[in-house]
Amino acid sequence: MSDNETTLIQKAQKGDHDAFAALVDEHQRYVYNLALRVVKDENEALDLTQETFVRAWTALPNFKGQSQFRTWLYRIVTNLCYNRLPNLRRSLNDLGDDVMEDIPETKFNAPADEFESNEARRHLHQAISQLDEQYRLLVTMRYQNELSYEEIAASLNLPLGTVKTGIFRAKAKLRNALAPLEESWTTA
Amino acid sequence: MDNRLTHEQEALLEDALNSYPLAPMPRSITMDVMARIQKDSRPALITWNDFVLSLAIAVCVGALFFAVQNLPPVMLTKIRIQWILLYQDFLVNARWLVPAVMFGLAALLSALTIPTLIQMTANRRR
Repeated sequence: MSDNETTLIQKAQKGDHDAFAALVDEHQRYVYNLALRVVKDENEALDLTQETFVRAWTALPNFKGQSQFRTWLYRIVTNLCYNRLPNLRRSLNDLGDDVMEDIPETKFNAPADEFESNEARRHLHQAISQLDEQYRLLVTMRYQNELSYEEIAASLNLPLGTVKTGIFRAKAKLRNALAPLEESWTTA
Repeated sequence: MDNRLTHEQEALLEDALNSYPLAPMPRSITMDVMARIQKDSRPALITWNDFVLSLAIAVCVGALFFAVQNLPPVMLTKIRIQWILLYQDFLVNARWLVPAVMFGLAALLSALTIPTLIQMTANRRR
């Protein structure tokens, strides 16, 4: 959390509307993105984003800065998502925690053909948008909102192992989605 | 599937996940949020609703107390007799209600506490 953000939070806690507006400006895109990836409806995502900030304003005096402000906002928006999608919470809890080790993250090694690479990227982006909601939520938090596994676990109030398992399984599903494309490359 | 392919797949996945674009916002919601928070001020320690409800309950309890204090002794005795008869009737005809009520209370207490305990255990594991 930057010094500027800390100052804005302190001012907003004392009731400064301008400071809170600056915080809304800063974070709304990420909150909206998270809501949209989960509910998949623009209007509903806008509603959720607005509601998140209204609740954040009400609860701001209780924000002690133990977590990052953005993590705190994501916790509010995911709780609102749980209300809209009652099965989401259960789906996340049912992921289990059988992947306890760190998931290795390889550096991008560009495929030989640029066309193949672009095609794969488009195909995978499509596959990401078609993942189940619990996987979309985890993947969005990890890769788009750039949270660590620990921060995701704290935001969703889930064990760390469950978060790792969820992301591991999301990747496995994406890997499966890649299979037909690879076959077309090898047969071409 | 050889290692080279797996590594390439991983690389493709990481690239796709990292390049998945943030959704653009259709419009800024700052004005809407600010309009709403200007209307809904933060709740004080107790709201007017809490105050009025507490006052109503206090008035009812006070009224009941004064009513009992000022009832004629004959009526008080009659009420006491009716209460004893009801209690005896309960002991004779509905004794089974005692364990049923106890079991119900235990179930209610469990329902209120067990989810919280599970949550606390999960947090500790984390």
